[in-house]
Amino acid sequence: MYESQKKIYPREIGGRFADLSKLATILLLGLFYLIPWLMWNDRQAILFDLPARKFYLVGMTLWPQDFPYLALLLIIAALSLFFFTALAGRLWCGFACPQTVWTEAFIWMEQLTEGTRSQRMKLDKTPWSWNKIHRKASKQFLWIAFSIWTGFTFVGFFEPIRELNHQFMTLTVSGWTAFWGLFYGFATYGNAGYMREQVCKYMCPYARFQSAMFDKDTLIISYDEKRGEPRGGRSRSVDPKLAGLGDCIDCQLCVQVCPTGIDIRAGLQYECIACAACIDACDSVMDKMSYPRGLVRYTTEHALSSEETHVIRPRMMVYGALLMVLIGALVSSMALRTPIILDVIRDRNSLYRELPGDLIENIYTIKVINQSNDARVFKLSVVGVQGIHLDGEYYEVAVDGGGVRSLPVRVRVQRANARGVMNIDFIAEAMDDAGDMRVEDSRFVGPSP
Amino acid sequence: MVSEEYRGAKQWSRDKQAVFTVVWISFLCAAIGTMVFFALFDPVDLTDIVDEDLDIGRDAGYAAGFFFFWILSLVCSGITAFLVRTAPKRDAKHRE
Repeated sequence: MYESQKKIYPREIGGRFADLSKLATILLLGLFYLIPWLMWNDRQAILFDLPARKFYLVGMTLWPQDFPYLALLLIIAALSLFFFTALAGRLWCGFACPQTVWTEAFIWMEQLTEGTRSQRMKLDKTPWSWNKIHRKASKQFLWIAFSIWTGFTFVGFFEPIRELNHQFMTLTVSGWTAFWGLFYGFATYGNAGYMREQVCKYMCPYARFQSAMFDKDTLIISYDEKRGEPRGGRSRSVDPKLAGLGDCIDCQLCVQVCPTGIDIRAGLQYECIACAACIDACDSVMDKMSYPRGLVRYTTEHALSSEETHVIRPRMMVYGALLMVLIGALVSSMALRTPIILDVIRDRNSLYRELPGDLIENIYTIKVINQSNDARVFKLSVVGVQGIHLDGEYYEVAVDGGGVRSLPVRVRVQRANARGVMNIDFIAEAMDDAGDMRVEDSRFVGPSP
Repeated sequence: MVSEEYRGAKQWSRDKQAVFTVVWISFLCAAIGTMVFFALFDPVDLTDIVDEDLDIGRDAGYAAGFFFFWILSLVCSGITAFLVRTAPKRDAKHRE
């Protein structure tokens, strides 16, 4: 009846889940655009300072050495995704995925400039006119401005955003910064403006394997076929039972609101991102028809076949237990993290040096990293061989807050005690707080015995 | 039926799917690779190894590393996709 469309025009819909999704969009995008501007003492609260190779997380400074935390955090994130998928299906896709959230924002700008679904469809079909140019150009202006803002906000997580803002306003942004800002902005523009549901359908690995986490107790959005069929149009005054009809009036609203263009009544499909727009649509129709809500609803396969739904089940317990263990490991290791890092590199150019007074000397490069935010003084010492000692110049090492101090260190041992390769330990101890110390092993090389 | 209008809903061609999937997945892999690699190595130290006078700075070092990983994974997944897509069909006799 209608000419087939090349493009999906999701119809706007109000309702419980539309409100929830709007709330999620505002909250998540709000956080994204706001976080880089938050300050902590005299610096940006969250800053992944790549040029200086330091990560600032509120009161904490993380170094490249702390990479395992990041890895652990990513594993926890992946596992939570599994956990919530098994529990409640594709909540992530419908409400939290950046692709969904930014698409939502872009569709909102589209509605603002080009109007409702039917207006947009009409506009695309009409020949070019001043009105069309005006509407399309304002949409592009909003989209592009928003994309550029997004791109530079993204860069603001990696470079101080206040300076970046100043550079941006005065058009003095450096080459790579501008490149990454535009790169991310362009990706946002393309993904949220044009590719939209295609990203979920063709490019997203999660969309393909999420069904592996599903079971018959997973919350899914489903059409109640038993209640709805046989579908068909009827007037409000007709009693569907007498007319031999189910509750579905075949109004197609659930299809029109779907951002991925599927018909939920055909069953669970992998294109469904669980945005719940069809629930809102159907509920509004059921209200108008004075039928009970929930012909399309959040339910489980078990519930649909009138069986009991189990929230607690082996799958949930396994995911849950793993999550607890990993979160526990992350929290405890971060709490127990010593704020000192000690790096010892033995001078590889010479094995050892003989000094007057029957001494054997080895040379090391010591790096002391102060991970706390205050300047501290560390006492450096060495143990492991009888009579081993530093040459006396660097017992106390002062390091700025978040700073690194690299220094050459000479270690000496009496010839009688220096035999072959011996294991030794360097110790850095904070002079203000005896509890903070770090031990790093190395080798001392003497003449062969 | 109104739903007919969706029967022709935008479908990407097989080639377009392959190209965008390869670009996107290799981008993700490159991002992870870059993260792990530069957590372990400082680009400034690396350029010092190659040539002491070479001074391209960290920003350019990160960018070079990222594009290196991206091109590497692009080539890898691109060739894989190509070979899988163009593999000869198993002949009917074999299947029986």
